[in-house]
Amino acid sequence: MVMRKLAALLAVLALTLAACGGDGGAASDEPTAGGPDGTGAATGDCTVAVSWNNFQQPRWAATDQPNIRDVVEAAGGTYIDADANLSNEQQLTDISNLIGQGADVLILLAQDQNAVLPGLQEAKDNGIPVIAYDRLIEDEEVLYITFNNVGVGEAEATAILEAVPEGNYVLIKGDPGDPNASTFLPQGWDNAGLKEKVDAGEITVLNMSGENWPEDAGTYTEAWDTQTAQENMEAIIDAAVADGETIDAILAENDSTALGVVAALEAKNYGFPPLSGQDGDPANLNNVALGKQYVDVWKNSNELGKAAGQAAIQLCEATAMADIAIDVDESVAPLDGNSPTGFETPGGNTVQSIILQPTPITAEDLGQVFEAGWYASKEDICAGVTEDDPGWEPCQ
Amino acid sequence: MANVAGTAPAPGRAETGESRSGLRGLVAATEIDLRLFGMLVALAFILLAFNLLTDGRFFSPGNMVTLTVQAIPVAILATGMVLVIVSRNIDLSVGSVTGLIAMTYAALMTDWLPNALGMGADFPFRWLIALGIGIGLGAAIGAVQGFIIAYVGVPSFVVTLGGLLSIRGAIWYFSNGAAVTGLDPTFRLLGGGGRGSIGEMLTWGIGIVGCVAVVAALWNSRRQRRRFGFPVRPMWAELTLGALGCAAMLGLSWFANGNYLAPALAAEYAQQHGIVEPPGGLKVPAGYPLPIILLIGVTVVMAWIATRRRFGRYVYAYGGNPDAAELAGINTRFTILKTFMLMGVLAALSGAVVAARLNGATLDIGSSYELYVIAAAVVGGTSFAGGIGTIPGAVLGAFVMQALSYGLAFMGVNSPGQNVVAGIVLILAVAFDSWNRRRATS
Repeated sequence: MVMRKLAALLAVLALTLAACGGDGGAASDEPTAGGPDGTGAATGDCTVAVSWNNFQQPRWAATDQPNIRDVVEAAGGTYIDADANLSNEQQLTDISNLIGQGADVLILLAQDQNAVLPGLQEAKDNGIPVIAYDRLIEDEEVLYITFNNVGVGEAEATAILEAVPEGNYVLIKGDPGDPNASTFLPQGWDNAGLKEKVDAGEITVLNMSGENWPEDAGTYTEAWDTQTAQENMEAIIDAAVADGETIDAILAENDSTALGVVAALEAKNYGFPPLSGQDGDPANLNNVALGKQYVDVWKNSNELGKAAGQAAIQLCEATAMADIAIDVDESVAPLDGNSPTGFETPGGNTVQSIILQPTPITAEDLGQVFEAGWYASKEDICAGVTEDDPGWEPCQ
Repeated sequence: MANVAGTAPAPGRAETGESRSGLRGLVAATEIDLRLFGMLVALAFILLAFNLLTDGRFFSPGNMVTLTVQAIPVAILATGMVLVIVSRNIDLSVGSVTGLIAMTYAALMTDWLPNALGMGADFPFRWLIALGIGIGLGAAIGAVQGFIIAYVGVPSFVVTLGGLLSIRGAIWYFSNGAAVTGLDPTFRLLGGGGRGSIGEMLTWGIGIVGCVAVVAALWNSRRQRRRFGFPVRPMWAELTLGALGCAAMLGLSWFANGNYLAPALAAEYAQQHGIVEPPGGLKVPAGYPLPIILLIGVTVVMAWIATRRRFGRYVYAYGGNPDAAELAGINTRFTILKTFMLMGVLAALSGAVVAARLNGATLDIGSSYELYVIAAAVVGGTSFAGGIGTIPGAVLGAFVMQALSYGLAFMGVNSPGQNVVAGIVLILAVAFDSWNRRRATS
């Protein structure tokens, strides 16, 4: 009896030691094989690891992932990835696993910029360069590759302000915990002149929840959820009608909320005041063609994926960060040139960044989307378009 | 509605002939279900409070119609959840199943029916075919889960939790996560709005039918009681209840007819009927939107099943005492299976309303619905101990929760604020109910 228990205990101990030994082995291999000053990487055996935060969102599988993978494999490298499914803890585990699988460069889409810091540290300890992909991480050693989120907001508001320079506006924001929704996009709106016009009395925001700007300006939508946006918008329309006010324009931060706004407008037969969005989702581009949405700020994430893939390969080959050069389509080319430049973050850090430009798409610009090989096909975008609709011409 | 007045003597109140002090005696004589009546009062109170807080802008026919239509997807599911909870089970997968079926409708009408089966947009009754497929799918999913719970013996919490995760994940594969839009116009009528409303005449018709139904139910109940020797309500109580019921039905119709078509639709209507529009537009009453008719139908059928069909009584019997039910010869396993199948069918109906309202489906439809549905059932008086709960109560519970949500959104309070209030109200409602119940039995 005692012998059996002892044997079991020994077996468990042996297994545990073997596992620890295995990890220790992999970890100790890392600094020599993969780091920027290592010897293995330069011979072309580059493993690029990507840590996704929410692979279920359609965009990543459709555009970013295939492009990163194609660029990496064309250069002779290996592509590996993991999905954190919106969980911070899972992302830290993913990073450890990717490092354990021999990652030479890590492309990191942070679920939360603070919660991911331990994972970032682990990568640094193993000498692995990190690219912060699409979402900012406040660390001066990462390379930040993204679309200009403030620029997206600016593009949204510029288009709408041009169409409706004066009147009543409704602001629909995204998830309150996402800095894009609370900080960057509203900043872009103000850069385009929204706050000025509100202060001058030319524009009235109908759905203020308080006095502070921009915190109380507009309604947030938890998890950027379409149904929530629909219900909130229905209540806003009812309140406006009760007050005898007309809604002249709607600034929605992204496409999933804009879809809910359109559903609410249709339920109330309110008509379609100019409406903004971002992401270039197929259903929304279709709405642009049908005249239900005015502008959709499109970020050709094919190019973002390519840029990240190219930068990853160059980092693998021990290129210094300042010497990295990317080659992307001129429609998205960064304003400051094709090499990283310093970017002042909200947290006061200076992060080396490559910031691509977004493209506002109104009905007449739809041709650009067709030519770019976007995952929304021309069929999807032009479904149900008749000759009275603004998208008729481009859809021919 | 009949249950509020209690068509059979409530247990413990059979001695209505005995006198009780003043007002209490009068109320007891009418045999009104005080719980349900209390919920109605609570709802009225909430609406009044919001109306005061918004200087009278809140309470208008149009707004109340919006609120009701928003509450319908959860209310439909809540009617089925009552039976599930009463039989000592839980169904956490309702949100995911609703989302899956909504996405199925969207995929059917935009892709599979036209492309794979050659049924183009003008195929007759294509919307009905899609609806039928959705209901079949819901019943199938419910049957699978019900089978594993009832016959294999895995706890319902575990099975439906697995369902919640795997079904939600499966939705992604329909369109790689993208939203799918563009449903049949006939299908979209199920979402309400100006086009999906039944108009003035039919709304009055429903009001009249409702009034007649209330009077008929009271008369029938009196007749049945006499026949089997139960004490009857005093005549004045019957007349009062009849008058109140009728007034309520007609009043609701009148209120719904105060909801007018939007200017664009009114202009269309005027054109169609050759009416010249007066300055300021034609005021065409929209009446009840179709989703409300659907909800009324579902509530009446579910309440009838729960109280007048053997299946319903078996569910309550099992919930009250599972062993006794088994020993009494009830096929308890099949009964449980059927509760989950019913839940699946209701998810298909709920999904139809959601998809119709959205003109399509997104990845996240129905996420967190399970929580709202359970909250609605519980606020409406269903007990987790099993054996207790009413269908009308759950529907009222759904309205109470949605009234809070809509009212706060109307006042400009953000989603997080709405959630804080909803959670607190849920706890208060159940605590009050427990305290009340304990007081009644002590």
